[in-house]
Amino acid sequence: MTIRMGFVIITSRCIDCDACMVACRSENDVPLGHTRNWVKSSGVQGQFPKVSERFQPGNCMHCDNPPCVKVCPTGASQKRPDGIVIVENKKCIGCKYCLTACPYDARFSNPETGKADKCTLCLHRLEQGLEPACVQTCLGKSRQAGDLNDPDSIVSKLIAQYPTRILLKNVGTGPNIYYIDEAVPEIPEGK
Amino acid sequence: MELTWGLMIVIYLFAAGLSAGAMITSNLSYLYGGQDFQRVSRVGALITPFPISLGLGVLVLDLGSPFNFYQLFLTLELSSPMSYGSWLILIFSIFSIINFYLWLPKKFQIVGQTLQLEKGKKLLAKIMPFLSVGVASYTGLLLNAAVRPIWNAPLLPILFLVSAFSTGVAAVILIATLSPWERARHKELHVLTMADVGLIILECLLILFIIVMGRFSSDSESVAFGSLLYGHYAWIFWLLIVGFGLMLPLLLEFMELKNKIPVKWTWPVTISSSFLVIFGGFFVRYIITYAGQTSSWF
Ligand code: SF4
Ligand code: SF4
Ligand code: SF4
Repeated sequence: MTIRMGFVIITSRCIDCDACMVACRSENDVPLGHTRNWVKSSGVQGQFPKVSERFQPGNCMHCDNPPCVKVCPTGASQKRPDGIVIVENKKCIGCKYCLTACPYDARFSNPETGKADKCTLCLHRLEQGLEPACVQTCLGKSRQAGDLNDPDSIVSKLIAQYPTRILLKNVGTGPNIYYIDEAVPEIPEGK
Repeated sequence: MELTWGLMIVIYLFAAGLSAGAMITSNLSYLYGGQDFQRVSRVGALITPFPISLGLGVLVLDLGSPFNFYQLFLTLELSSPMSYGSWLILIFSIFSIINFYLWLPKKFQIVGQTLQLEKGKKLLAKIMPFLSVGVASYTGLLLNAAVRPIWNAPLLPILFLVSAFSTGVAAVILIATLSPWERARHKELHVLTMADVGLIILECLLILFIIVMGRFSSDSESVAFGSLLYGHYAWIFWLLIVGFGLMLPLLLEFMELKNKIPVKWTWPVTISSSFLVIFGGFFVRYIITYAGQTSSWF
């Protein structure tokens, strides 16, 4: 089966330390004031004393049906055969059309390069056999990345074991970040 | 989302529509009005290249990598309105410059023989309406494709088309009235004003449909349209678009047609009504471009 790269993010394991944002910034030279990934807070939920707050990390969802790729006028935005959505800087004119088309606001205009910028799933690290920087650094092991089509991958095992949800299903983008809200006591072994 | 596309894009969308509208006004006046409509046909032809050139200029300046813009013309991506739209606008602009030359007064036409030039005029007058419709509605398709609330309204390309023609007709009326040279005749202006009244009424209906459809779609869309009706953009919507951009010029043009305006007032009234139509058309682009970006799906 073809490779389909994506993430599983376990919100119950996120403590909002923002280490993933720092790791991504230093790994990918993301300019200050912009970010390729984020941690969003649900705000305080419930009634005192039973209050909770959920943290939801995110980044580009490497969508199955990415509107950013569809609208790109130069072919700079592409979906690779392994599912990773990238921007080929040489072709990008910085029209920002893709920024407006992404319903997750996962892209920004890089002021240093003038190009659209976003999560690359740390392609350069994957090629060296390493995990993405945000995944490797994640203290709570909330972030997991891998091949969603490979049943032996950590991400597939998690998806098989726990209920998941995706964001903005109604928009039809087919995002490839699967969120697990339940407590996950142990991360399964896998690729 | 923070604003990604700002005023530059609004100017571009507006200017492209204005040029397309002025072009089609000129073409149709020439094809169906003949000699009697020489003046407005000429005014239309002579103004067309300018707004669109300005629009293209600000568009390129707004790019993150302006020197890379030629990449647009190394490919044709059929799924991207910006890609086919750029080609369309390129062709439209080149033809509009040729058309400009053909409509210049004879003494400026250094190359070509009169007979040939007249043939060229006829030919372009028949081709350009199609290109104009393409350019004007493409600006709506451009926003459609980014699938945001408001931007995804299926009638948006039609609204932009009608608004483009309305502003184009108004621009021709405005310049033809202001121009000290070859000032338009009453009959020409009368017909154009009639056309504009029809277009404004159509535009009102389209806006109404779009809003009703939006309010009855998903919650995200309903909230987004709420920002126009009673939210952040309400004053622009009700005052600048509905009031100054549609109702007031409609009323003035209606009175002009019924000859209710005293003679000494006709000149200022014609100028203000056509100016208001253009003004309103600008804010139609503005509000949709902005409100579509400040709303998102949930
Ligand atoms: S999350 Fe946004 S940028 Fe990433 S693939 Fe989907 S639409 Fe494109
Ligand atoms: S900013 Fe670059 S990647 Fe995005 S749509 Fe424009 S050309 Fe394509
Ligand atoms: S995979 Fe890499 S580029 Fe993407 S958010 Fe994580 S660290 Fe950033």
